[in-house]
Amino acid sequence: MAELPAPTEDEFRKLCEYLYRRTGMSFTEEKRYYVERRVWERMAATGSQSFASYFALLRTDTQDEIQQFVNAFTINETYFYREDYQLKCLTNDLLRERLSKKRAGDTIRIWSAACSSGEEPYSIAIWLLENWPGVDAYAVEIVGSDIDTRVLELAGSATFGKRALMRLSPELIGRYFDALPAEQWQIISQLRDSVSFTVVNLVEPQQTRAHGRFDVIFCRNVLIYFDDASRRIAAENLYENLLPGGFICLGHTESMSRISPLFEVRRFADAIVYQRPEITRP
Amino acid sequence: MTTAAKTILVVDDAALVRVYYRSILEEAGFRVEEALNGLEALETLLGETVDLLVVDINMPQMDGLTFLRTLRQREGPLASIPALVASTESAEEDFAAARAAGANYYLVKPIEREQLVEFARMLCGVAA
Repeated sequence: MAELPAPTEDEFRKLCEYLYRRTGMSFTEEKRYYVERRVWERMAATGSQSFASYFALLRTDTQDEIQQFVNAFTINETYFYREDYQLKCLTNDLLRERLSKKRAGDTIRIWSAACSSGEEPYSIAIWLLENWPGVDAYAVEIVGSDIDTRVLELAGSATFGKRALMRLSPELIGRYFDALPAEQWQIISQLRDSVSFTVVNLVEPQQTRAHGRFDVIFCRNVLIYFDDASRRIAAENLYENLLPGGFICLGHTESMSRISPLFEVRRFADAIVYQRPEITRP
Repeated sequence: MTTAAKTILVVDDAALVRVYYRSILEEAGFRVEEALNGLEALETLLGETVDLLVVDINMPQMDGLTFLRTLRQREGPLASIPALVASTESAEEDFAAARAAGANYYLVKPIEREQLVEFARMLCGVAA
């Protein structure tokens, strides 16, 4: 994609402001190459001759370009059973605590926020099937969401390459995937049916609240792409999406304490997680 | 005797539960068919020879007990397929209602792997 003109400093700033307003993701001058590469991608895809003409196209939202643009910016590389110590924590501690207030047959709701192409919510389902003896005694609801409609389509198709499956044993792959040609594997249909996918922008409260409250939210390596202000808004939205006593798991390099005072830190054997207090403080 | 020819129909509206029982039963050597409710199960039984039913109670469209009552009133071999009811309900009256509807055994969820396999083998007349 050579010979496409680079945006001027002013154009770059306007673009970042626009991206920030639409998604809450904040990019500074040092991420310039990363931003430009994606803009070039979209310019080439739309046949735009200059940055100015592309930006005009974007702002008038011709051919759903805003969504395409957002899609180009979201970061989607992941694999099954990533950071599995948190999955251990889910079955050893978090669910045990949540179930102490529930009866058999009650609903357990788990949300994988920013789930990309679905590896995380499907990993949660597989992990529960393999490691949680209560899996048939509760109505387990697993929701995956992302801001990026393109990855959600992939998540729905549930087809993965070798790399995404690298942490899974052959037994697990045999049990929960159908082999397709060209080294692709598709999640078996019943397992696809047990996860639902939806578009959610974490900084938009109307969007987050539409999905009700959850027992556990996984929101790993997402907030790191937000600036302080949107990170706080997202954290407040996520808080509202938790049942009292519900838990949120972040990536291992992230700390909720630096973002919002709303949550209590809980240290379990396998992971540190954040909890919405049972009783809301005045 | 092997389990090679034995087929179990799992009737449960929760996809995750069907995957769970399927993986346990297939690993023990059974063939597994699935239905989402009683109506679907009745339909499946028209085209499949089934040796055992594993039936949930609370399901949309047709619940497990209505399904068993309907099945037990049929003519011929379908009426006598053994049925294991698997439910989260654990009161005496639930057991009694299931028995009256035609259940042979009743297991309270969560059901352990070994327990499910043991009952499946027993009801299918298969040695471990």
